[in-house]
Amino acid sequence: MKAKRVTGMLLTSVLAVSLFTGCGGGKNNVNEDGMKEFTAFFAVPGAEINDDNDIQQIIAEKTGAKVKETWLTGQTASEAVGTLIAGGEYPDFIDGGDAMGQLYEAGALVPLDDYLDNYPNIKEYYSDEEWDKLRQDDGHIYWIQQFQNIKGEEKATTHNDEAFWIQTRVLEWAGYPEVNTMDEYFDLLESYVEANPMEDGTENIAYTILCEDWRYYCLENAPQFLDGYPNDGSVIVDPDELKIIDYNTTDTAKRYFKKLNEEYQKGYVDPESFTQTYDEYIAKLSTGRVLGMIDQWWNFAYNVNDSLKQQGLDEKGCNYVPLPITIDKGIKNQWHNSGGALNVGFGLAITTSCEDVEGALQFIDNLLGQEIHNLRFWGEEGVDYEVDDEGYFYRTEEQRTQAADAAYKASHLCTYSYFPQYKGTSDDGINANRPDEQPEEFYDSLNSTVQKCFKAYGCETYVDMLGTNEAPGSWYPMYSFSNAMTTSTPGGVAWTKMGEIKHEYLPRVVMSKNFDSAWDEYMTAYDGCDPQAFLNEMQAELDRRMEEAAKYQ
Amino acid sequence: MSFGTKSKRVKVVEPKIQFSWKEAKRQKTLLIWSGVILIYGVIFYYLPLGGWLMAFQNYRPIDGLFHSEFVGLQKFQQLFSDATFLRVIRNTLAMGVINLVVTFIAAIVFAILLNEVRNAFGKKTVQTISYLPHFLSWIIVTGIIHDALSGTGIINDLLVNLNIIDQPINFFAHKQYFWPIVAFANVWKETGWNAIIYLAAITSIDPSLYEAAAIDGAGRWAKIKHVTIPGIRPTIMILLLMNVGNVLNAGFEIQYLLGNGLVQSVSQTIDIYVLNWGISQGDFSLGTAAGIFKSVVSIVLIVIANQIAKRNGDERLF
Repeated sequence: MKAKRVTGMLLTSVLAVSLFTGCGGGKNNVNEDGMKEFTAFFAVPGAEINDDNDIQQIIAEKTGAKVKETWLTGQTASEAVGTLIAGGEYPDFIDGGDAMGQLYEAGALVPLDDYLDNYPNIKEYYSDEEWDKLRQDDGHIYWIQQFQNIKGEEKATTHNDEAFWIQTRVLEWAGYPEVNTMDEYFDLLESYVEANPMEDGTENIAYTILCEDWRYYCLENAPQFLDGYPNDGSVIVDPDELKIIDYNTTDTAKRYFKKLNEEYQKGYVDPESFTQTYDEYIAKLSTGRVLGMIDQWWNFAYNVNDSLKQQGLDEKGCNYVPLPITIDKGIKNQWHNSGGALNVGFGLAITTSCEDVEGALQFIDNLLGQEIHNLRFWGEEGVDYEVDDEGYFYRTEEQRTQAADAAYKASHLCTYSYFPQYKGTSDDGINANRPDEQPEEFYDSLNSTVQKCFKAYGCETYVDMLGTNEAPGSWYPMYSFSNAMTTSTPGGVAWTKMGEIKHEYLPRVVMSKNFDSAWDEYMTAYDGCDPQAFLNEMQAELDRRMEEAAKYQ
Repeated sequence: MSFGTKSKRVKVVEPKIQFSWKEAKRQKTLLIWSGVILIYGVIFYYLPLGGWLMAFQNYRPIDGLFHSEFVGLQKFQQLFSDATFLRVIRNTLAMGVINLVVTFIAAIVFAILLNEVRNAFGKKTVQTISYLPHFLSWIIVTGIIHDALSGTGIINDLLVNLNIIDQPINFFAHKQYFWPIVAFANVWKETGWNAIIYLAAITSIDPSLYEAAAIDGAGRWAKIKHVTIPGIRPTIMILLLMNVGNVLNAGFEIQYLLGNGLVQSVSQTIDIYVLNWGISQGDFSLGTAAGIFKSVVSIVLIVIANQIAKRNGDERLF
């Protein structure tokens, strides 16, 4: 009896001790093979790869390090990052997305500028001007923006950004008409739905709007594009006067929402638009029922295209192509911009919890070397791609299908997709840095209905559908500033409140039986958020950026 | 008939306990175990309260708890001048009260009805099935509800096919449906589980009381009214008291998961507000202030309820 009691007490104390130490945990960066192991968290949704991933293993052998990546699930970026800050423990690498500013303010990041000179690949990743843009207000560089960096010649094929999208079958049915305005776009959708209300026993949905949380840009920011401005995201910048314009209150905004309201009342806008979750939206697009929507390519295409392909719906014309739509005819659209926008608002950072900053930077440096870069994006030679006699990379149909398979991606491919990377051409001067930018490879991987559609419009790529534009200016893009705003300034508070009001009122404006009174109510509520405070801070930032840029001219 | 300690105000003289080492030694196991619990309580319930300091500071993680600027009650002022926070309090109270009343009544009625079932197998089956939803997490429950109430969901299909409505109703787009949906979800999830304790209380009622009632000519209804309900009255009171303190815990997951932009003015609760401002916007001080407010109101509520129970001579917590 006594023995039992003693055992019981021992167990209790062990339990108690383990409770207190459980959270700490020893952190060891080097595993038994002498391989460095880092951790990374990216505040965006992403697919985790298997622990025994082939290419990750190859890269690890070549560089002596591997990174266990984790992604956002079911939270917003700022919730996830806020939780990390509250806990005070971070992974080695982090990209906080929209919440990058909070990490900086919390002192969670390691300043990188003193290290940069030791890592040639990282150093040459950006020009001095670009590095300076990445400096925070204390003069240090804390993160490396990973995307839109073009090496050599630009090879844009995919319009990775926002647009009015439409299924190729609708265009084919109508004989590939020119569609340049919202009226033409919705007339086309309406007449298609009238003629083909059902597809394989399910009802076609003419137009849907994703409105969940931060993804409500699908509803909210089209007015800037409709007026022919590029994606500054939160405001319009008048390029001649260099003045900030609020796109929420323009006549174009009112006309855009009025049009959506009309279509909603006529029953062409999906009634579930404003209540669907992202998952429901993706599931809906994957059934091929939705004819058109506004979205960013990266937000839907990767999931939806694979699943359309698996169901054979791509051959029925359910793939989406972008249309060059503006509010009136004759406005030059800027849905697509060339040159790559340096979004200084977020990037890959190393945290104060990382015990081996040099090792972490060395890993980033290694990832930018051409050989490893090819491994990341092309895969393994002979397995994932072939090389012809002239050194030109290509993939067989089998390799292409394999690369679209989720299980294969998890077990074999490892792109380290949120680490710095290049687009454009490879060091060998022949190949593109990524398969989807290799012209033949891109075209061959397209589905026949998309190929037919491109041919009908005299295009070769998604970008040709819209036409391209020069990079807007040194300020671009302004969203990198507004996304990083926190509520520590009046403008940041106004920005948060404006977001709340728009989340609530914009759906109401679209659904209202009386558009004008709903719009007036919205405008009253909107003015109550003090948008001017926000606009003033945006103007100040615009002026600052132009001043900085002037130093390099 | 009454089983409570009703209206007998006898002054109880508590026997004075003399401390002696001999007694302490005899009860050493008990003392050690109490010590463990005490330490646990201090560490996990009282030490974290130190964080309340943040509410009176302009807390910044980089400065830490001891070096942040002290601002007094400024954060509370900010809180109560924010129209959103006032709306959030209203939502929390409203949903809390609705949930309390509805789940409470549903559980009691369900327990009594189940108790009247004579077939033991049927009774057990119903009971088991009814408390299973308790073990589902809210993410699953809200997923089911979202599907069931969607435009092509079972509820709309049913209503349309029965010709009650012509167009599917978009339940999540209208404010008036939100609170009822939340209440329904709570009832569906928790009724069976909450009923267990009442069923247990009913079992402990002396069967001779039912026999006596039967001899006096009481039917089923009269037995429920005069034996069962008075019999479980102390349990009801205690649970009611404990739940009143929980009114402001009207929920977080369900509103968070079912809410959307259109209904945010009725769906957001204090907990969601704390998450938005404390964690997402990084204003830990404001979040803490909102949390303190919530705790204080909960304590006040529970004290008031306890006093009322005391005055009526019912069971009480303290």
